[in-house]
Amino acid sequence: MLKVEEIREIIKLIDESSIDEFSYETNGTTVKMKKNKETGAPTVSAPAPTVSAPVSAKSEEVVTTTEIPAQPEQEVSKNEEESKAYDYEIVSPMVGTFYIAPTPESDPFVKNGSKVEPSTVVCIVEAMKLFNEIEAEVKGEIVEILVNNGELVEYGQPLFRVTTK
Amino acid sequence: MESTRNKLIRLLADAKENYISGQQLSDQLHISRTAIWKHMKELEKDGYVIEAKPKTGYRIKQFSENVSANTLKWGLNTSWMGKEIIHKPIVTSTQHVAHQAARENTPHGTVVIADEQSNGRGRMDRVWHSEKGKGIWMSIILRPELPPYIAPQLTLMTATAIAEVLDQHDTLKPKIKWPNDILIQNKKVAGILTEMQAEQDRIQYVVVGIGLNVNQENTEIPDSIHYKATSLKMETEKEWPIVELVQQILEALEKEYNAFLENGFPSVKTKWENYGFRIGEKISLHSGNKQKNAIFTGIAEDGALLIEPTKGKTEKIYSAEIDWFVE
Repeated sequence: MLKVEEIREIIKLIDESSIDEFSYETNGTTVKMKKNKETGAPTVSAPAPTVSAPVSAKSEEVVTTTEIPAQPEQEVSKNEEESKAYDYEIVSPMVGTFYIAPTPESDPFVKNGSKVEPSTVVCIVEAMKLFNEIEAEVKGEIVEILVNNGELVEYGQPLFRVTTK
Repeated sequence: MESTRNKLIRLLADAKENYISGQQLSDQLHISRTAIWKHMKELEKDGYVIEAKPKTGYRIKQFSENVSANTLKWGLNTSWMGKEIIHKPIVTSTQHVAHQAARENTPHGTVVIADEQSNGRGRMDRVWHSEKGKGIWMSIILRPELPPYIAPQLTLMTATAIAEVLDQHDTLKPKIKWPNDILIQNKKVAGILTEMQAEQDRIQYVVVGIGLNVNQENTEIPDSIHYKATSLKMETEKEWPIVELVQQILEALEKEYNAFLENGFPSVKTKWENYGFRIGEKISLHSGNKQKNAIFTGIAEDGALLIEPTKGKTEKIYSAEIDWFVE
């Protein structure tokens, strides 16, 4: 049986992924999840100004390639520059403190615009003095750093946005 | 496969003060008496003092105190820990060498150990003083088949194993400062730095670095700006044999690790809390630019720090700078 926290975690992960449907079966218990398409993972194309549909709207009402911004209408004008096009997010594999550089004095591992290879170390997440060097795991370019140096991050929290094109 | 040399050492060690004849050794090891004699010469090169008495046999008068891959392996009672040992007289840091070795696919349990580190480091690259032959500076490569979020528990497990080894000596009374510094009389004697390479759901490898101050004199060990430091010699007023201590630590680590894989964190938690520093006391935590005071009540089922900021409320902490003494 899955615990409530685990289900919550899965929902979060699926929310952030490009998966539309998910089902999991164990010992006679089945968990099924399905996303409304418009709340699904963001797509490659730059977000067009949103149709002001509420988040709960059915998918037919909204163009599927449209990203719903986290903030409502008044943010739309700034939207263009704020969320750049990306198709991959590097997420934290554990709870901990996010470090963008190996030491306080050194240069950051990556910056906006940095080209990364799958094995490029992009940051460190530290929990209980275990220092986890996070690799990009994809080839591409960092387009947005979502967390500040020294900030606490959650399991599964997106840290970087990457274009793999 | 146990090497002939290793078997030879064991036979001699088991016999303690008694002599074993060359013939007896030759029979048991299936090698000639000349070969035995050659092995004895090699042992002497590695720092063992062997006594050969005509018509009686051989015995070890003194075990080697030289640290080498051989002396560490001989008499090491483990099944996977330290089966591969990389010993160097001087390195920049054993962590650095271990990372390189791990990338070249060295096996689980490989130990990198140095007499001296020119650039020993701790958390956030803070300098760790590691003079020649005065302490244990080593890094262990682990390849656990665990999800990455479990890995931080390995640091608490390592600290527990080291505390247990030190605790065998009545007077030391080691404490563990969460998550993994070993203290004696409120002063730091050992630090652990754990680094991991992992994918989202799979650990490639973990390098556990251990720095233990052993035979430094009072004047040889500068206090860090972050803590007061001590050594085993300063606390006990005697020299400690490095080889034996390394072996004890590796044996304890293997045992703790196996138990951890089998039973999970609960067994570590209980032991850890027995050594826990300032449990039940008021501490101060900083994270980012936030700061708060709270009572430190123990550790959680996953090793996180448990605090009580206000009566009846419990919070889990995974990462913070902690000030352990609050008025």
